[in-house]
Amino acid sequence: MIKEISIYTGSRALSIYRGIADFTEYTKSIIFSLRSLRYLSFRSIYNIIINQTKFTGVDALVIVMIIALLLGGTVIIQALTSLPKFGVEGFLGNILVIIIARELGPLATALIVISRSGSAIATEISVQKWSREILSMELIGIDTKLYIIFPRIIASIISITSLIIIFDIIAFIGGYLISQTVVYIPMDVFAQTLIDSFTFIDIVAALIKGVIFGITIPLISCYYGLKPSSKFEIPIYVSKAVIRTLFVAIIVNILVSVLFYLL
Amino acid sequence: MDDLILELKNVTYCVNGVTFLDDISFDLKQGDNLLVFGPEASGITNLSGLVLRTDSEYEGEVLYKGEPLKSLDYFGQLMHKKDIGYVHGDYGLISNMNVEQNISLPLEYHSKMTGPEIKKHVGKIIYDLNLDHCRKLRPFDLSRSEILKTTFARALAMDPDLLYLEYAFEDQCPLNIKTMMNILSERSKLPDKSLIIITYYPWNFVDISDSFIMFFNGRIVFSGGRDDFLNSSNPYLLQYKNKSIEGPMVIL
Repeated sequence: MIKEISIYTGSRALSIYRGIADFTEYTKSIIFSLRSLRYLSFRSIYNIIINQTKFTGVDALVIVMIIALLLGGTVIIQALTSLPKFGVEGFLGNILVIIIARELGPLATALIVISRSGSAIATEISVQKWSREILSMELIGIDTKLYIIFPRIIASIISITSLIIIFDIIAFIGGYLISQTVVYIPMDVFAQTLIDSFTFIDIVAALIKGVIFGITIPLISCYYGLKPSSKFEIPIYVSKAVIRTLFVAIIVNILVSVLFYLL
Repeated sequence: MDDLILELKNVTYCVNGVTFLDDISFDLKQGDNLLVFGPEASGITNLSGLVLRTDSEYEGEVLYKGEPLKSLDYFGQLMHKKDIGYVHGDYGLISNMNVEQNISLPLEYHSKMTGPEIKKHVGKIIYDLNLDHCRKLRPFDLSRSEILKTTFARALAMDPDLLYLEYAFEDQCPLNIKTMMNILSERSKLPDKSLIIITYYPWNFVDISDSFIMFFNGRIVFSGGRDDFLNSSNPYLLQYKNKSIEGPMVIL
């Protein structure tokens, strides 16, 4: 029994190690590809950036706003009703800034983007690979790593940072309005509390998370999108892309949060 | 020697112990048109990987315009691929781009042409190939001949010195690709443009080909000019022309 567990654990560890090594090679090859930026004219990726920004950012706006409103309302109601019970209502602003602006905003936005765009990117790339579209791009001298992944990363950074800002604004304003149905707090008091609590670090932390999510989500989605060698593997790798991007997003969120609390 | 566009010198290509090309040597002069044919698994499919430099694990030398392809670095390989117009029977059109965008893609990526210049240049190719009616359609909405013509137009967009057509015309209606064949025929007469056609049906391209090479089991079993192709009594060629299973080639 112990032997079987050891073999299973060892093989899993080896598989994870190989996966990380493979992903590292892939990332290195993309960084290497950046050198061919000098051969790339911006006009050839302009449409991809616009389309991806529209899909990842603009088209996700409604769902992000609804979720921001609901989560913002929930957090603000909980904070306004629970904090006085512990005698810490003076920290209302700090808690809202930490929970909504620094943690919930970036993470919830990342989760929405992963479930919408991450899966779409992985599917699109894997279908393009299967139908030999990527090969045909390579055969006309296009650096596919740069041409496919780079514009998606740019679009994703633009979209996610913008969505985080919008999420935070809607969560605070909309959440405040919803909370007024349960607990009354004057608008000017609420706004002043928030303004007093916001620091430059809070804004930087949220935006840095946006940039890192903007890089990691398309990077991992494209990695798994390029993996299938037959059409039957497409759903397997799309599923892996979503689950592993979710996992990485949560880890990144924790790491950046810890880093900024240590600062 | 100066006008050779492509040279293969004693090329042997093996994968996992299986020999796909066995000591192959031939060359192609600028302006010449070469037709390569042979039965399935004869090695003709493996040539594209060597010529387009997607594969470098071979013995011998492949030279393009005198430069050994093995020595090309990452960017050199990209630039080399740009120089060759390649059309494959799988076509590989980008599914989320329309006909015009597919043809413009190599120009937008590689050329120094301005947007209006690209539009004008692509517009002319589209007109020449009778694709005007479908310029805004995506590959999903195109017929087989329109897909082939779009792929052909994309390969011609950069006006490459070497055009490499691999099984491009198989399963195509000869009437629908007539305009394309006329353009190909005109191009084959140009002194600075070369052509390689890989096909199972060499008799369809006799008029536009200057030299013919037949492969079997990774080896060249026949090579010669148009007259040789038409009149030779080479047993491999005869067996192939007669579509016979009896002869020097064992067909599974």
